Amino acid sequence: MVTRFYGTLKQWQNLLAGLAVLLFLAVLFLSFLPSYDVGYNTLQAPSRSHWLGTNDIGQDVLTGILTALPNTVLVAVLASLMALFLAIVMAANAAIAKGWVAALILRLVDILHIIPSILVLLLFAAWIQPGFLGMILLIGLTSWHDDVRVLRALILRERTRENVAFARQMGAGWGYCLWRHILPSVWPAITGLFVQHIRQSTMKVAGLGFLGLTDPRLVTWGSMMQDALDYLHMSAALWLLLPPGLCLCLFLLLALALGRRLERYSLAEERDLS
Amino acid sequence: MAVTMAKQSEQHSGLLYGLVNRMIILALLILLTFLLPRLMPGDPVDMLISSDVARDLSAAERTALQVQMGLNAPLWEQFGGYVLGILKGDLGYSAHHAAPVTSLLASALPWTGLLIILSLPVFLIVGVGLGIEAGQRPHRRLDHAVTGLMTLFASLPPFAVAVLLLAVFGFLWPLFPASGAEPLFPSDDLVTNIFEILYHAALPALALAAHEIVRFYYLSRGEAMKLSVRPFVINAYARGITGWRARIHYYGRNLLPVLLARLSDSLSTLVSTVLYVEIVFSYPGIGTLLYGAILERDFVLLQGVILGLATCVLMTNWGIDVVVSSLAERG
Repeated sequence: MVTRFYGTLKQWQNLLAGLAVLLFLAVLFLSFLPSYDVGYNTLQAPSRSHWLGTNDIGQDVLTGILTALPNTVLVAVLASLMALFLAIVMAANAAIAKGWVAALILRLVDILHIIPSILVLLLFAAWIQPGFLGMILLIGLTSWHDDVRVLRALILRERTRENVAFARQMGAGWGYCLWRHILPSVWPAITGLFVQHIRQSTMKVAGLGFLGLTDPRLVTWGSMMQDALDYLHMSAALWLLLPPGLCLCLFLLLALALGRRLERYSLAEERDLS
Repeated sequence: MAVTMAKQSEQHSGLLYGLVNRMIILALLILLTFLLPRLMPGDPVDMLISSDVARDLSAAERTALQVQMGLNAPLWEQFGGYVLGILKGDLGYSAHHAAPVTSLLASALPWTGLLIILSLPVFLIVGVGLGIEAGQRPHRRLDHAVTGLMTLFASLPPFAVAVLLLAVFGFLWPLFPASGAEPLFPSDDLVTNIFEILYHAALPALALAAHEIVRFYYLSRGEAMKLSVRPFVINAYARGITGWRARIHYYGRNLLPVLLARLSDSLSTLVSTVLYVEIVFSYPGIGTLLYGAILERDFVLLQGVILGLATCVLMTNWGIDVVVSSLAERG
């Protein structure tokens, strides 16, 4: 029990430390980044002064890629974190509370599952033109329902274990049990879900950027690809389209590989436990 | 008998549950499309003026316009009128297109439907075929090669696939037309016309199918892997049954229920993918209509299209659910 407790604390510490480092790096990175200015050298091929060429209003593509990096990746990570947190709260309520609360949550999940999320995203995004924070909120709030059923099943399974029953017998509340007993044992599954969620969120961020539904000042890899669409018939397409496209693909591939590894790890862990 | 009866009624209540959920969604969407514009600063008159090339209005003209658009009525009265209009099939009037939203929807929907229907056989045959092929002998060279390729595909957002196909087959090696759904001057001959329409739809339909191929590949590979170690399949191999007979009768047939169940799920992803695909190929369907509405800040059209599209999607996948459950009832 003691080791488990320290286990969770450490896991949360790791996660928070990771996030803090990520945020710090992002700030550092942004402060060193040259500004994404328009210039007279439009549609220049890659050269020594512009490593990846320039776009139709003379902005440097490499600078654009780097500016868009946090706007795409960090937004996706934070939105997924928010969605996961909401999903855990909802799943715990659905698993532990009985009666109408659980019924309501499950109904809500079913309802949100049927509707194509793109329609809701479009509706809100068209009206509010979300910036950095707006994107995080919008994507987090429209995607939490994906993980609730899985998490609820896991929590339902874990709550029947002896350590939970024992803790309850000793007068522990459900919050304590969830935090100290249930979540630590499903931690690998949670990280797996988190990584998968990041993939989905990245696609959504890029998609909304591609549709031009974000705040126009927010550069994302998706919006850069949209800008390149007008130049498909020229050789400029090569340096306008490929860099953001490849970055997006590479990041998604990375997340997929990491997700697979975590999945395998969590399966192995499950075998050890049972 | 009693068991089957109980099962049937359970299925029926499941379908009813789905229908009620869909009604709730539509009601919520209607509420949302009513409230969102009114929560924003300004009113529809401001919207109309700020988004158009327009002169300033005097205060009197402004009030007249507000009265004409019914904006001075109390909120609940406006809402009543709005709901009543929707129930009558009136989704509003697009000032930019100078046409009612319903007629715009009606002219765009067939094109989107055509793309979805054309992509259906492509992703079913390619995705399921490759899935069975890879899954019946898992962890061999073929399986590794195809799964690797699919993993790569899975990491491309739908619009990236569309842009890639357009760049390669529309511009670099112009096999297919780069945009539109018909030639500029449609010919009088029906056969040529149909051919031209299919020719224009080929590339967008392929882009649309690409995303679903991956999903159906993973699904059928997993199922085929499970089937490949089942005794009746091993027995069939021992009896010398291989080739197409094994693929269709032993794998294909047992995959059918899973595939059908996934199909009703697929409709939502297909619809969200088709929006991107149409925008990339400037195909005159719902996606392009929606995109135009976004660019022109034509919120009446945007909301109307979203409501109309949601209704279509929800009713169609409920219909698929009904068909699937009746198939399951037959056994």
